[in-house]
Amino acid sequence: MRPSYTLSDRTVGLLFIAPFVTAALFFMIYPVAEAIRMAFYSYNPLRPELSTFVGLANFEYIFRDPLFWDSFWQATVWTFLSIVFQTVFGVGIAMLLHQALAGMAIFRGLLLFPYIVPTVVIALIWRWIFNPEIGVVNHALQGAGLINEPIYWLSTPSMAMASTIMLNVWKYMPFVVICVLARLQTVPLELYDAAKVDGAGIVRRFLDVTLPQLKEVLIVVIVFRTIWTFNKFEEIYLLTKGGPGTSTFNLAVYSFEQSIANLRLGVGAATGVVMMVMLSLGSIIYLRVSGFGEDERAS
Amino acid sequence: MDVKLERINKNFGAVQVLKDIDLVFPSRKFVTLLGPSGCGKTTLLRMIAGLEPVTAGAIRFGDRVINELAPRDRNIAMVFQSYALYPQMTVRRNLGYGLRVRKTPQAEMDAAVERVAGILEISHLLDRKPGQLSGGQRQRVALGRAMVRQPDIFLMDEPLSNLDAKLRVTMRAELRRFHLDLGATTIYVTHDQLEAMTMSDMIAVMHGGIVQQFGSPGDVYSRPANLFVAGFIGSPPMNFVTGAVAASNGQAAFKSPDFTLELANGSAGGAQAREVVLGVRPQDLTLVQNPETAPVRGRVWVVELLGSEKLVEVMLGDRRRLTVQVRAETPVSVDDEVGVGFDPQRIHLFDAKSGIALRS
Repeated sequence: MRPSYTLSDRTVGLLFIAPFVTAALFFMIYPVAEAIRMAFYSYNPLRPELSTFVGLANFEYIFRDPLFWDSFWQATVWTFLSIVFQTVFGVGIAMLLHQALAGMAIFRGLLLFPYIVPTVVIALIWRWIFNPEIGVVNHALQGAGLINEPIYWLSTPSMAMASTIMLNVWKYMPFVVICVLARLQTVPLELYDAAKVDGAGIVRRFLDVTLPQLKEVLIVVIVFRTIWTFNKFEEIYLLTKGGPGTSTFNLAVYSFEQSIANLRLGVGAATGVVMMVMLSLGSIIYLRVSGFGEDERAS
Repeated sequence: MDVKLERINKNFGAVQVLKDIDLVFPSRKFVTLLGPSGCGKTTLLRMIAGLEPVTAGAIRFGDRVINELAPRDRNIAMVFQSYALYPQMTVRRNLGYGLRVRKTPQAEMDAAVERVAGILEISHLLDRKPGQLSGGQRQRVALGRAMVRQPDIFLMDEPLSNLDAKLRVTMRAELRRFHLDLGATTIYVTHDQLEAMTMSDMIAVMHGGIVQQFGSPGDVYSRPANLFVAGFIGSPPMNFVTGAVAASNGQAAFKSPDFTLELANGSAGGAQAREVVLGVRPQDLTLVQNPETAPVRGRVWVVELLGSEKLVEVMLGDRRRLTVQVRAETPVSVDDEVGVGFDPQRIHLFDAKSGIALRS
């Protein structure tokens, strides 16, 4: 007979997950549920007593708003280009860092730098770097004779978009590099030897050995980076405030503007709900199409 | 095509892993590099494959020095310990990969893949991926990938070590058969002396980056060149007894603290009064019925049954033991007083200092 104060395994298990479940309820489930609820209400934080249920009116509003669609397309462009460059450069740099050379550990450590510095600091630094009059980029380009006139990095629409993409690529490429590097270190070296003996040159070895081994990690990295980039707010807001005009608005900035500047919290919440649905559907379709986890299911 | 190694040296940084290796792998022969782990055998194989640069010396295929040739230009094929199959490709694509990379016409490639798959009896697996195969099947695919290009030289790096014991025995015979059928020079690396003995035409026993002995399996077994080879080859391992050779009653004899043994004429090879090590295989010792007359006496310390044989460990003196292999039905039990009989023709003497075999 066990002493009565002994808890059953089931109770102990529940106790162990209780802190997480509690935190998740307060900080994840509740805010999401509240945002979904708010999307169906007209809500002005200054006049909370006037809050009313409006059905789909908030959604009708945003789908009729040209700025919503501009933000959507700009978000798509910014996400797509950021992900492409992050992935390509990330894989390239990971392969360089994978070389067994003396002192490589230092470079691997330095890699984390953009990732640790707070976004606010980075955005401020980049605003100085991009400053058309005294910024180092223009200074360098002019010094090298590549341009005669200063480039207005943050104050012309296309250059502002390019600048935000550059910032995003610079800051989050280390994430791609770390994931890819970790995977590269587990690729069996005998596969490369076998490919060499079979007659594969360096390009074929990359295509037939390295890339297939990286496939799964790249699928995951791309899904995560896409979700995080599409939802990203602070980099754009801190660097360009969505400007010049609304040329670097994405949906997160749009939602923020509606909620905070226009005090239409319902519209902002509706935008958030639309983003959530789009990203969920997009991720599911992408994982299906890319065949993620196929091997596990097959065996 | 024969492969010649001339004074091959290999350093990894300051560590010298291969020292002045001189070997000739005769054309169409099955030669095994045998040695404990860390002896440099795999490094040597990888140098022949072109996967590892040569520090000094020359590797010749036929008369041609190929030190600087890339692996793809050596017309070799290699089977790896882990099989190294491309996981995302089907068996068919794995088999044909070397041909596809060399831009072989599709029809020719298909024919070659089908032919090899037929020989190895893996035709029904062609559309599967390596992840869906058993260890033995993967092994065959790896072998097939090597065979498909009809290379001059086969290099095999412990290809059987990931298989279970039973399959290993079957594959041993098959590998030997394929070698005879294909007629390519085969260089095989293993640490398993049984594989080396059963499959090879020649064995190079390696230790500490040096070839200790190069000869036929019979040679390395019955005429070991030194103490290392004597101890490494043969199972259970050879018994060693330290002592000295001295003349006794006008005849050379081996004297140790436990026993004195008269030697056959000339077998001491002029080792008079020198420190020597006597080596004798457990199979070459007998248990003598009446211990009083035997030159060597002791007490049975432990008996191990192997099936058809048993191993009897006989305690001689101060913790010195001899292993004797006898038929399983021999009546012997622990703590029996027994005599051990030697066949003077079947003992080996080694110089105690250098370890080199003493021969007349």
